[in-house]
Amino acid sequence: MTGMVKTSKEKEQLNLLLEEAALSGREAAGRYPGRRFFGYFCSYWPEELVLAAGLEPLRMLPASSRGAPAALPVYCCSLAKDTLSLAAEGKFNNLAGVGFAHTCDTMQCLGGIWGETAGQAVTLVLVPPVRLDAPGALAYFKAELAALLQRLAGLTGHQPGGEDLHRALALCEHIRRLAARLDEMRSLLPSPLVAALLRAGQVMPRADFARALETALPALQEQAADPGDKRRVLVSGAVLENDDLFRSIEELGGRVVADDTCTGYRHFTGSYAGGKDDPLAAIARRYIAMPPCPCRHRGLDARPDHLEKLARARQAHGVILVTRKYCEPHAWDAVPLSQRLRGAGLHVLVLELEGAEIGGQERTRLQAFLESF
Amino acid sequence: MNKYYLGIDIGSLTTKVVLVDDTGAVAARAADRSGYSGRRVAERLVEEILKEKGLDKKDISATVATGYGRVTFPADREISEITCQARGIAHLFPAARTVIDIGGQDSKVIKLLPGGKVADFAMNDKCAAGTGRFLEVMAGALEVRVEDLDDLAAQSGESCPISSICTVFAESEVISHIAAGRQKADIVAGVCASVAARVASLASRTGLEPEVVFTGGVARNKGVVNALAEHLRCRLLVPEEPEVTAALGAALLAGNIKV
Amino acid sequence: MAENRKYLPLASTRRLEKLMTRYYFLTRYHRFWGKPLRRPLAWVTSGAPVELLRAFRIHPVYPENYGAICGTRRVSAQLCQVAEAAGYSQDLCSYARSHIGSILRPELAPMGGLPKPDLLVACNNICGTVLKWYEALARIFRVPLLVLDTPFLPGELTESAKSYVLEQLKHMADFLAHFTGRRLDRRELERHMALSKETVNLWKEIRGFCRAKPSPLNAPDLFIHMAPIVVLRGTPQAVHYYRLLRNEVNSRVQQGQGAVPGEKIRLVWDNIAIWYRIFGFFQMFSERGACFVTDTYSGGWVMELTEGDPLESLAATYTEIFLNRSPEFRARQMIELIKDYNADGFVMHSNRSCKPYSLVQEVIRRRVMQETGVPGLVVEADMADQRVFAEEPVRNRVQAFLETLSDI
Repeated sequence: MTGMVKTSKEKEQLNLLLEEAALSGREAAGRYPGRRFFGYFCSYWPEELVLAAGLEPLRMLPASSRGAPAALPVYCCSLAKDTLSLAAEGKFNNLAGVGFAHTCDTMQCLGGIWGETAGQAVTLVLVPPVRLDAPGALAYFKAELAALLQRLAGLTGHQPGGEDLHRALALCEHIRRLAARLDEMRSLLPSPLVAALLRAGQVMPRADFARALETALPALQEQAADPGDKRRVLVSGAVLENDDLFRSIEELGGRVVADDTCTGYRHFTGSYAGGKDDPLAAIARRYIAMPPCPCRHRGLDARPDHLEKLARARQAHGVILVTRKYCEPHAWDAVPLSQRLRGAGLHVLVLELEGAEIGGQERTRLQAFLESF
Repeated sequence: MNKYYLGIDIGSLTTKVVLVDDTGAVAARAADRSGYSGRRVAERLVEEILKEKGLDKKDISATVATGYGRVTFPADREISEITCQARGIAHLFPAARTVIDIGGQDSKVIKLLPGGKVADFAMNDKCAAGTGRFLEVMAGALEVRVEDLDDLAAQSGESCPISSICTVFAESEVISHIAAGRQKADIVAGVCASVAARVASLASRTGLEPEVVFTGGVARNKGVVNALAEHLRCRLLVPEEPEVTAALGAALLAGNIKV
Repeated sequence: MAENRKYLPLASTRRLEKLMTRYYFLTRYHRFWGKPLRRPLAWVTSGAPVELLRAFRIHPVYPENYGAICGTRRVSAQLCQVAEAAGYSQDLCSYARSHIGSILRPELAPMGGLPKPDLLVACNNICGTVLKWYEALARIFRVPLLVLDTPFLPGELTESAKSYVLEQLKHMADFLAHFTGRRLDRRELERHMALSKETVNLWKEIRGFCRAKPSPLNAPDLFIHMAPIVVLRGTPQAVHYYRLLRNEVNSRVQQGQGAVPGEKIRLVWDNIAIWYRIFGFFQMFSERGACFVTDTYSGGWVMELTEGDPLESLAATYTEIFLNRSPEFRARQMIELIKDYNADGFVMHSNRSCKPYSLVQEVIRRRVMQETGVPGLVVEADMADQRVFAEEPVRNRVQAFLETLSDI
């Protein structure tokens, strides 16, 4: 009797996570009354500070690739255009505010015009160092974080103390460990399932996510099965707001054995090496040591080395570099990355998407790619 | 008892079917416009060729569907048109290492390994430039038929260059040239050169290794063939029936017939 | 009736050509004099603190300026295609694509391309693209890459941002000492900064003359004559040249000589020039008596070096450039130009290649129109890649815009 109850609780929590993933935070205010959500765009946005201030971080995701707001020209990515359209429709009015961690030129401009064009009362901009290993980068980052914490405090009227920060760091660390466990068994699980679970961790209250994932893990372990002769792929890219790509890969006979995407596992990488005694320094050090995204600089080889190593470790046969149309940093990196990974004997596909949807044309490319292994 | 294998290529504009025997020889083939339902056209064409050969559905051992509408057809397997095209061309030209396929709505370049396996590919299917559609639009602006483009190109003395990467703007460039009194033949030569340039750009992404085969509906247009050969500075081999080579590849894959 | 307005050439232009020819000649044959004189060649971004490099006797070369030359000579499209064939997306900056194209196919490139660098120096104050561009260059040439990270300023320059930039500059100076085998001579640095300051003041004065009615200069003049302040800033040659130009422009004002005869409409230009149409484009305006009396692009080099310790001054000045600031700051800049120069309208080039400059234009346009009451036109094009330029639609827009202004 007890065994059956436990199993249905696992499945229930798993379903909750999948539901949250599908909603992508759209009904957060209604589903979690009494909580205040703070929107953010980039994985370099310090969720710990948001949590310490008593708010819930909520990743801003586009709903489609069709938004065409008047304030932006055509030649920027659909992440910017569609979220701005959604904002103009009032879809983000419930948020306590929106945070921009400076990443690329487009997000720099979006952060500058968001307040006025989206009608958002509170827009906060954080500018992390671009050069991760620069002299003075750590000190600068700490100062930026401290300033941000003050501004977040201003939103809630409550000054976060050491306790609040330590609690927040502990929660984030716990979540990263759970995400790592999930990532480790992903080659045994359907690709879209893992993608959805990782996205859920960015669009729902963090403590609820931690609880739900921890409960659901045994049910996932039960589902785990050898992928057989599925083609093993590593997916690298930026924001993917739905599971279309992962689902298509799975349907076409592939399995995503590793993902280096901003909304996927890269969001959960890194740790507070060097301890948590100085919480702001710990946060800064984690971001500086994380596998970098193309918007950050740590020499020429950090990213290619990381991806080659990851592909080998997971025995990937091929790599899919996903770029969003008009995304410059990822388009730049696609050139040296394809060269390096092809040189390492991997099949490489550079797949440009308008948004994250896989249409007939994209499916043909994916299919031809997987067929060529 | 002969075994037969069927390849179906449902494109957005035309549907092609090819029937091969177990040696890979083409037993029958047919093509028609896809219209509203490529699937229904495919079914009709299959019936026609079976009747022509005095065969029955049960004589077909396996079917592979490819092309834009491949998921709609009840075949044994559906395979991408890239893989099918590679297979079909390798069968016709065993020395082929690069395939250039310009269809009605897309263009592709495929790099082959010996045996017809795909090593790499580059596709343009988000933009009409460098596709059959581009030729249709320009033919319309010049008030000539697409079939007459190659004869006109042959008469050209001095090609009239077209610089726009956008089909819509290129069309207005053509109209400007007409208004300026330029010879139709020269404008057509410019149009063919424009297609060749776009496709050459696509080809440079995968690299060009001889032998280079040019297939797809547009390969029938000698104006484009010549412009492309000139632009790429290499010999181009063109199959006799370039529209059906992907369907042929599909049929060969259905029978698992090696090169 | 559109009269045929003739372009009024500046006598100084001949001297400018000589100056730039000499600079590019020296650059082209650097391999003969660079080593013996111990003067390495660096490829440098337009917003980098070149004064520090000059203090170490480094010879700076500017790929962005080269991109503009490719655009002006109308070979950019071809070079971009070369880069695209090598896998670089067509949606990337056309300066970068042109430059990379020139490296891969130098026989298609002006001057056979730029001479190989000994060093790469990129400062991201102007955009994030330069970081990726210079990473690509570093991979091709395998030479040291120095990156100066000047954090974007949503508001005013903070102490922590300034300290961060200063710290990087100090390390950069240490590296350069090691790399060049020279020590940092502070007096040399101050000398070059003083030359920069004088150049900037002269350029400011020259631009300031255009407040006069009629304006002695039109936008093409500003775009052409800004070359020395970009590539020769910190040298005595630039100072000499701008003194000459200043005198000529001043005398035009004294004589009431306008760049556009019968000046009827005064306009402000925003964004980088449309290099492949540098005269033709503005003729659409000048033939209707419209003159671009000032702009935000060439004005970007009017950056006053702040007082104090040289490295601190460089840290602050180069972080505070206009492209590193908020839309509010830039709208204010535009509003001040319109008021100061008595402009009747403004034209914004929506430049596909330059996102930081262009993506905020619509918001700035609305604000500026609201505050000044003058109309603003947006023209979509690209600074160097002429495949993006559509003649007819642009001509129509410009005509309609000028007609509304002519009714005033």
